[in-house]
Amino acid sequence: MKLEMFHLMPYRELPEDFAEKHHSVWVDIPSHLFDPARAHEMYNDTLDELEFGTTVGYDGVCVNEHHGNGYGMMPSPNIMAASVARRTRDAAVIVLGNSIALYNPPVRVAEEFAMLDVISGGRLIAGFPVGSSQDTNFAYGMNPATLRDRYYEAERLIIEAWTNPDVFSFDGKYTQLRYVNIWPRPIQRPHPPVWIPGGGSIETWGWCLEKGYLYAYLSYSGFKRGKLVMDGFWKKADELGVERNPYHAGFLQLVAVGESASEVEEKFGPHGEYFYNKMLHVYPGFREAPGYRTLDTIKMGLLGQTTFFGDRPPSLTWKDLLAQGNIVAGTPSQVTEQLEQVIKDLHIGHLMVLNQFGSIPHDLAMDNIKLMGEKVLPKLRHLWDGRYEDRWWIKPLDGRRSVSPLRTQAPTTARAEVLTAAKAR
Amino acid sequence: MRKQQVAVRAGAFDIEVWEAGSGTPVLFLHGEGGPTWTSFHDALTERYRVIAPVHPGYGESTGNDQLQDLPDLIYYYLDFLDQLKLRDLPLIGHGLGGMVATELAAVQPDRFTALVLIAPMGLWLADDPVQDFFVMSPADLAAALYHDQDSTAARAAAETPTEGDARIEFHLERAKSMATAAKYLWPIPNRGLAKRLHRVTAPTLVVWGASDRIASPRYAEAFRERIAGARVEIVEEAGHLPQEEHPASVAELTSAFLAEVDQNAGRASALSR
Repeated sequence: MKLEMFHLMPYRELPEDFAEKHHSVWVDIPSHLFDPARAHEMYNDTLDELEFGTTVGYDGVCVNEHHGNGYGMMPSPNIMAASVARRTRDAAVIVLGNSIALYNPPVRVAEEFAMLDVISGGRLIAGFPVGSSQDTNFAYGMNPATLRDRYYEAERLIIEAWTNPDVFSFDGKYTQLRYVNIWPRPIQRPHPPVWIPGGGSIETWGWCLEKGYLYAYLSYSGFKRGKLVMDGFWKKADELGVERNPYHAGFLQLVAVGESASEVEEKFGPHGEYFYNKMLHVYPGFREAPGYRTLDTIKMGLLGQTTFFGDRPPSLTWKDLLAQGNIVAGTPSQVTEQLEQVIKDLHIGHLMVLNQFGSIPHDLAMDNIKLMGEKVLPKLRHLWDGRYEDRWWIKPLDGRRSVSPLRTQAPTTARAEVLTAAKAR
Repeated sequence: MRKQQVAVRAGAFDIEVWEAGSGTPVLFLHGEGGPTWTSFHDALTERYRVIAPVHPGYGESTGNDQLQDLPDLIYYYLDFLDQLKLRDLPLIGHGLGGMVATELAAVQPDRFTALVLIAPMGLWLADDPVQDFFVMSPADLAAALYHDQDSTAARAAAETPTEGDARIEFHLERAKSMATAAKYLWPIPNRGLAKRLHRVTAPTLVVWGASDRIASPRYAEAFRERIAGARVEIVEEAGHLPQEEHPASVAELTSAFLAEVDQNAGRASALSR
């Protein structure tokens, strides 16, 4: 079993009445709510959290791409990944990913991912999302009618750029290049593992299975509704005669750990509610541009066989969030037990965990990560042992040089001291 | 009105064509919302053979996947016109259809005798942007489309089926139509038409609803300024669909304009004899 820590890099200080007063957290979120000095703190907290995650036992860390988004402030996850690559040694650097249809020419992604793979010594996992409609169609103006076609073409070009040893020409519908010849080239051969983050489009299942790419179902709907999607994925695998290897799939889950259920509710409750009630406040008109989802996927949605981002009641309490499986929370043993169930039910070999979500402050996030690493991860790691091969994992360079001085202690301590000293003054 | 399927480009497109009336043919190109046939069309059939094809991607018309962008659509329409042997005829277009009609009149100016544009898309005024109708809820959209929110048409537009197969069919058709419109109008409805408007030589009438809250009547002026000799008619108490809110008067404006164009053409040909 592989356990990875995911971070969305949210803006933690939206006003109390954000959902009532403002149109949307995404696409047209007002700029005056953004304080760059506060964001400086948040970005560095996030990087500290990601680095710390690799020291407590996470197998990798995940970053992703969003645009014009208050809960995901990594328009370029590659910048975060570059920083993490330098300050970690063994963990996979999982970029989930670059919305490849947005980059013209898409060889830009082949180049940047190759750089990350080389810098990290072969630890990059390359995520190729189609990208959400908010990011691709609204924030980046990409035509929804051609987005998917463009995406498939970009994937073809990037893979060929990584694997064709010769300079070649590319005659696509959207990209034409006389000379494709990226430099540097990735360390991992034939290329870094490709993971496809999906939001529930049914076409993606078959495509991942046929291509042999990992399918990562990223949603905030939690494991109960996630099962609907993963069941669809595995059913498709059966149809195509592909082995039900759990490592072929990953799933994202929000997790909060503490000494007691009441402590967890007290400490994390407001932040969970902040995430679901404020940060997912997306104007319904921005949910999808016309043509973003295929008619088949829309039909599945209308029939209630898949769920769709943004399908949520207007206000959820911590208790609702736990009951619906949006958040897994409790003592280490309660969380371990639930996650083991999630892993088995969804049949996944990669669990991506959000330990920081919503407005969770840095120190609490660090505590959550630490407890997770000490008490939960060791009890889940053995799952699937000896039964399946993880063919979707990194192949780091042997004898790679150690990257920058690693932190010897949790950065939270130093920061806490500074904050205490500042308060004392 | 009768519906038939017409094969275009050796069957690559199977096109639904609505038609009624007899006499001089008139081509009507529908807007982004989809094909409609109203008393506006019926009124025109008193003097014309009205031919209203459904764009690929709407209704029963196929071949949408072969069209990547606006030039593809324009070349498709040239094939369609060739297939039906249509030339020397007036073109009427609404919204997206108005944009396509204008493009056709720019690419083959000699083919069309007159152009009637009802709230056409295709231009972009930075200080008065076309509203983002793609993101509007059905209720907001109805409010933007119609002058009178209480009219039957406005109420019908705001209501959507909520149950059973009708609900699924409605949403799928709407998703299909809007996805097709987005191909030509996303992210903003500007594909460079302004650069080509000088080529339009057909006598042109631009009709705009005074209460159009999708694209303001300032756009009527923008078209008039760029098409030599174009005339503007503003329809009071009408939104983005003046031909639906005031079918009789918009049909009358259209017929009178086309008659005048005919007369002038007759005089011109008499003079040249």
